[in-house]
Amino acid sequence: MAKSPLINCFVLLGGLVVLFYLNLFYGSTVLTWSEVSSGTARTIFFDIRLPKSITAILAGGGLAVAGLLMQTLFRNPLAGPYVLGVSSGAGLAVAIAMMLFGGITDYLAGKSLISFAAISGALLVMLFVLFISKRSKSNITVLLVGVMFSQILGAAQGIIEYVSNPASLKSFIVWGMGSVSNTTMSDVKIVIIVVLLLVVCTLFLSKSLNALLLNEAYAQNLGINVNRLRILIIVITACLTGIITAFCGPIAFVGLSVPIASRLIFKTSHQLHQIIYSFLLGAFTLLLCDCICQWLSSNYLLPINTLTTLIGSPVVIYLLFKSKTLS
Amino acid sequence: MLELKDIHIGYTSKVVQAGITLSIDAGQFIALAGNNGCGKSTLLKTICGVIPLLKGTLLIDGKNVAELTAAQLASQVAVVLTDKISGFNLTAFDVVASGRIPYLNSFGFLTEEDRAIVQSSMNSIGIFELCERSYDELSDGQKQKVLIAKALAQQTSVILMDEPTAFLDYKSRVALFTLLKQLSKEQGKTIVISSHDIDIMFKHVDKVIYFNESGYQFGEPDKLYNEVISK
Repeated sequence: MAKSPLINCFVLLGGLVVLFYLNLFYGSTVLTWSEVSSGTARTIFFDIRLPKSITAILAGGGLAVAGLLMQTLFRNPLAGPYVLGVSSGAGLAVAIAMMLFGGITDYLAGKSLISFAAISGALLVMLFVLFISKRSKSNITVLLVGVMFSQILGAAQGIIEYVSNPASLKSFIVWGMGSVSNTTMSDVKIVIIVVLLLVVCTLFLSKSLNALLLNEAYAQNLGINVNRLRILIIVITACLTGIITAFCGPIAFVGLSVPIASRLIFKTSHQLHQIIYSFLLGAFTLLLCDCICQWLSSNYLLPINTLTTLIGSPVVIYLLFKSKTLS
Repeated sequence: MLELKDIHIGYTSKVVQAGITLSIDAGQFIALAGNNGCGKSTLLKTICGVIPLLKGTLLIDGKNVAELTAAQLASQVAVVLTDKISGFNLTAFDVVASGRIPYLNSFGFLTEEDRAIVQSSMNSIGIFELCERSYDELSDGQKQKVLIAKALAQQTSVILMDEPTAFLDYKSRVALFTLLKQLSKEQGKTIVISSHDIDIMFKHVDKVIYFNESGYQFGEPDKLYNEVISK
């Protein structure tokens, strides 16, 4: 599928609108337009499904753009926030924050603290992975170091969980399962502003990202300030991953598999197109996963990471067998 | 025109060559020769701004490179490096079109004029039929031609090429040197090329910069070959 960019966008947007409608009205309780103006249906619609659907769109889109940025920065199609440990870094920082300051009852202070911790954790891991990628020319080495680092951060997180009090532990475990259904409309407002602002900023980097596809030396010769670009990519990726992880917990595979799928489907290297396609496809993927979770479960909610992994892993396996560029 | 005035090249930990002073006229085809590690690639990367100049003054068309922004330098010097490019759905057209990046807005869209320049660059190298082909699937010779077309699309007065004949067969090497000589004469480009193909290179270039451990020599190819290299 390599039609004109406008047609591609309309197809993706159309799919997203259909899924958004289905997500809002179909689930364990089927709603109609006439019902949502009052009573329980109104609560389900406005307080549960609407924030959940918008969160899924923004989290899916945001993580896909973060993944695309990481793949371009490291020039590695297997880079992604979850695989390279950026989500784990955010997770560990949130675990530390929750265990140390778990007593904070003020809603805004609590959310701000978690967001700050998640962004800081993501930023530190991004810097570490960048440091490793400068030392090693091998994509596979960078990938394996990222995976190992992710395991180390997971183990550290385990130690913190082990020594924490039961109340903090419970809230952290629920957060760590990854979900788009724990956000309120107040949370959604923050996520909308931050994610859309960062994605729009990324669009302005399209030309520089196009140059970076060749390599850093060529980008520099094409007039790109590579050091400034690298810092911008790291900050945007860390903020996107951090803020989404803070509100939804670590979401697996969307950041890795969606940009790969987008490249396979739309067959363009232009980064402006890929940013838009990845955002829309990421939003579509996570919303689809959420719809499936919602439709499959009546008394319990299936963890969204189960589905993102089920959908994302085959994409990565396919790439490993097909790619000529990983060596 | 390219002027090097007492320049030192290398890295903060090691000066590779010191005190290079020479002048290259517009439209000249220059060879960089010498053993590995003597500074050929370092000189090329220094001129195009990939490696910082340690000392001295570098002028391109009378403009001091140290006073140019990265974007201004990009419209003065194009480079073809040894580093491999791969992946990310890049077609031959995409790679050549990247030469227009210094002239595009932040979103990176090509105008009709940019497309015409890309097409004319590909035509002048004879690779327009490769337009839609994946860059990854091209032969080494075709990849080199695509990168040369990218350098032409950048519309600079100076083109630098680091070992473009590596991995090419004899016939392709001769064809490439003939093409570069033709470009320097017909389009008035200053082309500086590093290569170990002494025999073929010296037959095509106007002058040679020869690096060795004790310094450098700059002169006519025949004279340098007889006085320095053949000994």
